[in-house]
Amino acid sequence: MMNREHTRLKRFFQDFYLVFIMVFLYAPILIMMGLSFNSSKSRTQWGGFTLQWYVEMFQDAAIMDALYNTLMIAFISALAACIIGTAAAMGINSMKRLPKTVVMGVNNIPMLNSDIVTGISLMLAFIAFGISLGFQTILLAHITFNVPYVILSVMPKLKQTDKSTYEAAMDLGAGPVQAFFKVVFPDIMPGVLSGFLLAFTMSLDDFIITHFTRGAGINTLSTLIYSEVRRGIKPSMYALSSIIFVTVLALLLITNFSPDRSGKDRAAAGLEAAGAGAGNGKRRSNPEAFRKGLLVAAAFAIVVSVSFTTYKHFTSSGSNQLYVYNWGEYIDESVIDEFEEETGIEVVYDLFETNEEMYPVIEAGAVQYDVVCPSDYMIQKMAENGLLAEIDFDNIPNISQIDPIYMERSKSFDPENKYSVPYTWGTVGILYNTKRIQELGVPAPTKWSDLWDPRYKGEILMQDSVRDAFMVAQKMLGYSMNTTDPEELAEARDLLIQQKPLVQAYVVDQVRDKMIGGEAAVGVIYSGEMLYIQEESAGADFTLEYVVPEEGTNIWIDSWVIPANARNKENAEKWIDFLCRPDIAKKNFDYITYSTPNKGAYDMLDDDLKNNKALFPDVDQMTNSEVYKYLGDEADSLYNEMWKEVKSY
Amino acid sequence: MEQPLIDLVDISKSYDGTAVLDELNLSVKENTFVTLLGPSGCGKTTTLRIIGGFEKPDKGRVVFDGQDITSLPPNKRQLNTVFQKYALFTHMTIAENIAFGLKIKNKPKTYIDDKIRYALKLVNLDGYENRSVTSLSGGQQQRIAIARAIVNEPRLLLLDEPLGALDLKLRQDMQYELIRLKNELGITFIYVTHDQEEALTMSDTIVVMNQGYIQQMGTPEQIYNEPENAFVADFIGESNIVPGIMIQDELVEIFGARFACVDKGFGNNTPVDVVIRPEDVELVRPEEGTLTGVCTHLIFKGVHYEMEVTTPDGFEWLVHSTGMCPVGQQVGIRVDPFNIQIMNKPASEDEEAVGVNE
Amino acid sequence: MNRSLNKYLAAPYIVWMIGFTVIPLAMIAFYGFTDREGHFTLANVTAIATPEHAKALFLSLVLSLASTVICLLLAYPLALILRERGMGKGSFIVFIFILPMWMNFLLRTMAWQTLLEKNGVINGFLTFLHLPNLAIINTPAAIILGMVYNFLPFMVLPIYNALAKIDDNVINAARDLGANNLQVITKILIPLSVPGIISGINMVFVPALTTFVISTLLGGSKILLIGNIIEQEFTKGSNWNLGSGLSLILMAFILVNMALTAKYDKDGEGNAF
Repeated sequence: MMNREHTRLKRFFQDFYLVFIMVFLYAPILIMMGLSFNSSKSRTQWGGFTLQWYVEMFQDAAIMDALYNTLMIAFISALAACIIGTAAAMGINSMKRLPKTVVMGVNNIPMLNSDIVTGISLMLAFIAFGISLGFQTILLAHITFNVPYVILSVMPKLKQTDKSTYEAAMDLGAGPVQAFFKVVFPDIMPGVLSGFLLAFTMSLDDFIITHFTRGAGINTLSTLIYSEVRRGIKPSMYALSSIIFVTVLALLLITNFSPDRSGKDRAAAGLEAAGAGAGNGKRRSNPEAFRKGLLVAAAFAIVVSVSFTTYKHFTSSGSNQLYVYNWGEYIDESVIDEFEEETGIEVVYDLFETNEEMYPVIEAGAVQYDVVCPSDYMIQKMAENGLLAEIDFDNIPNISQIDPIYMERSKSFDPENKYSVPYTWGTVGILYNTKRIQELGVPAPTKWSDLWDPRYKGEILMQDSVRDAFMVAQKMLGYSMNTTDPEELAEARDLLIQQKPLVQAYVVDQVRDKMIGGEAAVGVIYSGEMLYIQEESAGADFTLEYVVPEEGTNIWIDSWVIPANARNKENAEKWIDFLCRPDIAKKNFDYITYSTPNKGAYDMLDDDLKNNKALFPDVDQMTNSEVYKYLGDEADSLYNEMWKEVKSY
Repeated sequence: MEQPLIDLVDISKSYDGTAVLDELNLSVKENTFVTLLGPSGCGKTTTLRIIGGFEKPDKGRVVFDGQDITSLPPNKRQLNTVFQKYALFTHMTIAENIAFGLKIKNKPKTYIDDKIRYALKLVNLDGYENRSVTSLSGGQQQRIAIARAIVNEPRLLLLDEPLGALDLKLRQDMQYELIRLKNELGITFIYVTHDQEEALTMSDTIVVMNQGYIQQMGTPEQIYNEPENAFVADFIGESNIVPGIMIQDELVEIFGARFACVDKGFGNNTPVDVVIRPEDVELVRPEEGTLTGVCTHLIFKGVHYEMEVTTPDGFEWLVHSTGMCPVGQQVGIRVDPFNIQIMNKPASEDEEAVGVNE
Repeated sequence: MNRSLNKYLAAPYIVWMIGFTVIPLAMIAFYGFTDREGHFTLANVTAIATPEHAKALFLSLVLSLASTVICLLLAYPLALILRERGMGKGSFIVFIFILPMWMNFLLRTMAWQTLLEKNGVINGFLTFLHLPNLAIINTPAAIILGMVYNFLPFMVLPIYNALAKIDDNVINAARDLGANNLQVITKILIPLSVPGIISGINMVFVPALTTFVISTLLGGSKILLIGNIIEQEFTKGSNWNLGSGLSLILMAFILVNMALTAKYDKDGEGNAF
């Protein structure tokens, strides 16, 4: 029959559409779970199956701390939001019309407002109130945006609740509190539960508000992941996310689709629905099962992480501390353990993503770090603004291991070698894919101006930071990369704008993964990434080569400094001295593969590493290369302004 | 015989393997008020939804005016439905609600306006055109739902417990309204209800249903006075259903006492069920009664007294009478032969359900 | 219940809101209307007119409008199907759409990189089928895709909730009165689900307008949105006054949203959850 045919076709299209949406929603999740079994650290390369990340995940203090923070904040904020929100909902429900409208209007703000505005406004307020940014501020922020969700869930239930049941309970002798908990609360319980879950989920998934309200001393999974985006996500993170996801899924399936309610009573319900004419046999089954399921999941996660972290916190306590603030993935973590073991100092280790992000944190002094690892020009800025303490080199005997060349180089930003001890150094150059440029018919690049070759259209990865991007154009034009001349800058800006159509993307450390994945032909990259790149791309059908362009480049140095407000300066000096020890410096070099200024460590290296020109170029011959200098606030904003013009062009 | 307006032929329908309707046959003549009456779950609403086109029968045909409409979607059927909870469109004004069907059919604006005015007048809500649906009371909403249906000049109007949500007084008023409407418009009504009083008041024909079967079909008088089985007797009004033995034609024995009756053809010495309405039980002096018992219960009900008389065999007779008998007093029971209704005894529960499908 | 006493239950929250909603917004206003020295100025707000800011705002508007429209077009049929299929049962729908949120949103968005890249999973699949490759990574299209992916649940849930509330008999009544399937959708379902649609549009448009993460991850930082500019003013450029000024511009959109919500969704019917 025509009609049947039509119905079947319709059902087919509907099924197809549902499947399409499901694939769309879940494809990225499957990808991520796949990556959690990838033995290669690179996102773009499949290195074979491994369970290694699931093991490493539990040993990774940063991830475990972030997990603990995330769950704790989600749980406490959801709980607090439930208490405040339920009380508020009851209060609002008994208000007169006008105050009710006003309160509900304000209540809606955090939900309707964009996260970025909410986050920023809270950050400004916390600073104004003098609340130092940290765990507590994230918590306050999360409670603030969670309460509206609770109110939203509780209000409808409250409206449905028959007022006379409360009065009946009182009539039967219950006191007001008793009456509430025995009669009203069970009625609105589903609303409170779903509010809790919603709040928990929202808190778990939030990044933006946390990003602005967190102190530098603390990470949630979201912020940790964001800081890792720079260096490539650790596969352990995929492993953790997969575990969370699968756990929630399993608990849901167990609680939601238990086999005991099916067959018989479904038929009965269908009959009833038909008899009453309620509809096409449609029935609403109990959504509480879902909520309870998630609740169980949440409780499970909490118990696990709390017990884990409590254990951890008990095993490591003490007042002899050292607050370290470093780039992500910028140390072999076993070095931290070794340091703790050897000195008995407890290390609190935090990460930052960019110099610019680190600076206001140190300036505000919300968290008092003892030792920080900024780059050259930032050291100069910090020193000029009085944020650094002079290092007592008597406490750092291993300073003799640092090659004097680098101490000399450091003078361009730390003229008297008073504030900084070099940790890593390197150059910025062009990484190119030999096979890809052959396909494009372009000779191997040797100078910056090659990056303006139109044949590279869509094949160039540029650095997404002001100074590095401008350095490329300035060097190409033959200017100093520390120029503050507006005309020279404008010229560089126009050059970058001219190049923009050729650029595939402006990225930071993702250049590495993208080049390994064969995404682009050329990329501007830090030399320190080379060793890793060569290892990871060993299996690929192309080779990646590094060249320092003829026009000269940036020689950068990341050094350890001690902030002026450090509380444990001596510990900080011990830390620096420890890192200067040749065996430790070698260990760090092996892990982070950025060139080391440490003579002792260098001497321990294999010959082919020593001769690797990408890692250890002849600095003496690089006469047209420079080190970044701090140019002053005015020049800084000029650079930022012009960079914004490039980016938004 | 005149062709029926709607004819249900061998309709079966089940949900998840449970039969709701089984081989149901029903014919409705033009210009009658037919009520489908039965307890919830009896299949009456499903029958209505099948006629309306909202459900497809698993088996059987729906014939409308000689034409098979079984697989015709609702929007192509020449009939309209008034839903249980009115199902008004809350995003439209009253005029827009009423105009909905006419606009779909692209009727001219002047025609639509006239119709709206006419329909509102008909349901006594003139001047309500621009009010919002939510501002109306339940009874008013119900009238709008009826107005919305009848402006389309359907030949058949289906009403699914339309008065169920209204209070008693309003319900009684609406019952008269509906009768008036039916008479004024001259269209056929099929009305679904579980309220026997409503059915008795309004219908030309009542169809009593239970468990997916038609139990009895007839005029209100027939249904009330001559129930064909215990279910109908019990469902329609209150009654005393007592086991008896048909001694011979026009003579039945109840609890050892012999009552004259008017029924014939059950055979001799056949066990039967005897239905006697409470108002037909006459209380007399003990010596004048066919049976005697003791009054065990007495309640004043306004128009009459309600009493219970227990006979020695333990049966409690329900009696309605304007005269009263104090509790504890011996009384005699007498019944007029015309008021005794004899029914065959069902052999089993199942058979009870198998009705007389005419 | 005892109304007069009960309303004091809201007092703690009112204090909380003043502290953490009203004052913070006032702080933004304060920063937005002052310069670094604390003098009153309109410069931070009028800065939106400079070409790079105006362009970023324009791009943000275009991309977020596009993704809102796409979300609506994807979500509405989906919600209709879910309603028709009775998939509201057992909170299946919530299950499906909330579950992804338990996987971090940054990771999910990152996974799209892996899917979309030139040598990514999708192109690998297309190459395998000998089909032309997809080149949308680092383009506005990828950003729109990311927005649609992340915010689609916020469109589906309120619309579905609004649709699920509609009595089946209202639809039956419309069909009974002669409406065909299309007319049922246009004349009954869509008008009755307006609160859900408005709420969905709000919940997609606002975060899409202000995102900076999606454009960074999927747009290759080549496309600067207003969110990116504000974020950079706070975290990199250190010009909080300018960032606040631009945030105030964004808040204007929120006011529009609140007005819309108040107009079409008086009883909060369009709630997503």
